[in-house]
Amino acid sequence: MPDPGRRNFLLLIPLGIFAGVAATIVGAAFRFLRPSDARSEAKWSNVAPLAQLKGEKPIMRSIIAEHQAGWASTVEEHFVYVLPSKNNQVLSSVCPHEGCNVSWRDEESEFFCPCHDSYFAADGSRTRGPSRRGLDPLPTREKDGVLQVQYQTFINNTEERIARG
Amino acid sequence: MKEEQNPYLPPRIRRWLSRWTTLEDIERSLVDEPSGGVEAWTRTTAGVVAMLVVVQAVTGVLLAFYYVPSAESAHTTVAYIEKMVPAGSWLRAMHHYGSQWLTLFLVLHLAQMFWREGYKRRPIGWMSTVLLLGLVLAGGATGYSLPWDARAFFGTRVTEGIAGGLPLIGAASRNWLLGGLEITPITLARFFALHVLVVPALILLILTARLFVFRERGMVSDAEERRLEGWMFGQVARNAVVAGLVFLALSLWAAKFHAPLGPAADTAAPGYLPRPGAQFLWLFQLLKYLPGRLASTVAVALPTLIFIGLASLPFLNPPPLRKMMAKPRRNIGVALFVLGFALFTTMTMIAYVEDARDPRVRDQLARQSKEEEAFRIAPFSPLRTRTSESNIEDELIDTGEEPAASPTPSGSPTPNASPSPGGSPSPSTTPGRSSTSPPDSYITNCSGCHGTRGQGVFPFPRLIGVSAKPRRSVEDLVGIINNPAAYDLQPTMPGFATKISDAEKQEIAVWVAALKKR
Repeated sequence: MPDPGRRNFLLLIPLGIFAGVAATIVGAAFRFLRPSDARSEAKWSNVAPLAQLKGEKPIMRSIIAEHQAGWASTVEEHFVYVLPSKNNQVLSSVCPHEGCNVSWRDEESEFFCPCHDSYFAADGSRTRGPSRRGLDPLPTREKDGVLQVQYQTFINNTEERIARG
Repeated sequence: MKEEQNPYLPPRIRRWLSRWTTLEDIERSLVDEPSGGVEAWTRTTAGVVAMLVVVQAVTGVLLAFYYVPSAESAHTTVAYIEKMVPAGSWLRAMHHYGSQWLTLFLVLHLAQMFWREGYKRRPIGWMSTVLLLGLVLAGGATGYSLPWDARAFFGTRVTEGIAGGLPLIGAASRNWLLGGLEITPITLARFFALHVLVVPALILLILTARLFVFRERGMVSDAEERRLEGWMFGQVARNAVVAGLVFLALSLWAAKFHAPLGPAADTAAPGYLPRPGAQFLWLFQLLKYLPGRLASTVAVALPTLIFIGLASLPFLNPPPLRKMMAKPRRNIGVALFVLGFALFTTMTMIAYVEDARDPRVRDQLARQSKEEEAFRIAPFSPLRTRTSESNIEDELIDTGEEPAASPTPSGSPTPNASPSPGGSPSPSTTPGRSSTSPPDSYITNCSGCHGTRGQGVFPFPRLIGVSAKPRRSVEDLVGIINNPAAYDLQPTMPGFATKISDAEKQEIAVWVAALKKR
């Protein structure tokens, strides 16, 4: 029977080898499973010809945006509001509170979210209700007489505006 | 005797473990009979097999975090693992080559067990190892189909052919395997379920039984047990060393050689020459020598016979056989082993040599590997999903508008979005103009979730065609607007009882009920 010293040594070998194998696999698994922080390349979507964007009231438009995430590239329809009175600023229709879509109310001249009753002024700023910030503006540009927007989404229910990928 | 066990653990932990777990019994039951010298090093195949099984399980689970077993996504997600995910290529190569190495080491394990007449001393252990080899081969055959490239398609064809060669139940088993008469998305789902659920579950069952149940019950004296324990520690260390070396070799191999992945199955060129994984090459080569109808039968019968023969080795000792041969088990066993081993090695070698010698085959295989290489270095191209787009098309159809008939205020479509979506006319410029336009109050209160034309905005439901469902009459729709809770909706909807006038509710309900598919 081997003495205890030799036994301890014999126990160290398999333990060391197991640790090495496990470390290799765990290291690869960590890199493999780590969430991707790659932001998909922002693409420009057409909103409307500039000639149509007139008046004082926000104008609702549907845009088509392509969103790439993981192995899929999805074509999605989104809604935005154009503010012709604010130099054609474009606001996302997604309520910054919990992500429903806000709608414009002509009579009250304000944005209203029907889910939890958040209200926003005509320029998108927060007036009352549970939302913690105003409506989210989106980057825009003009190209060949057409207003274009880079559609993006933001983390819900934060005061600060944090863009998602 | 208790004091002498586990001298390397603090007594307090040892006592706690022995009180609350059966680890001590398990440890004792795992002690094998001793042997010394060089032979001890040859008895390390079990450790390698155990290591490779664990590697297969872990890498397989990891791959499942990205792989999607659908005909649309399978190839794209495998390409994503291969090209985009860090360490994905290495993990997939570990899984791919690991299964081949596992087959090899199981054969070696059986060979050394055979050499020591393990089938005689531990019949159940022997049979379960033979069964394990069969399951590992089944795992390889089902896994081959999952990348859904040309190689996978032809691999599935061969598996199907082998299943079809079973006597009597051939056609039925082929159809059950395919889920129909052809290789379809159903086939992929079946192979996936077999590969990730059925086969691993059976392997786990067998391994657990092999380690903890299928053991001989023996009485050993205390002195003998201490001796065994000492021997076991040396043997665990030997197993670990060899397993570690094999793991290192496999890691380097997987880092150097990618697991094969060709372009998607539908792009296969007509002259495509399929080649199976290394562990099946012998069977593939064998099929070349057997004429048509016979081939599939023999391809099934021969391996089955070898397997059944090996598995039943412990019982091949009846009196008549004993009369004919001095040692029937040993003689039959040697014959089977030599036959199997010779078949396995010669056929595998011939397969390689033939492919290398025939210039046309060589050229075609070179072309294919060049294609695979080109595909591997080509940038990843994502799967295009069109869910929302088809919603947009529906929208045009439902309102009876032709894309060309209505001006498209949203301008030209984005480069990659086709067909062109007709932009919905803005509610603030064209309110209620035609019978298909929604009422203003709908736009204000409902369109945020249900879309300007009732097409729905994910995750909220489409309203088009909703009146065909039960409890969705105009009255019900007004009821939903007033008190959605009474209708048990998922996802839930806020009530609008006081937010909209009764006339407007009626107007909305009538308009929604009229939304029908053309």
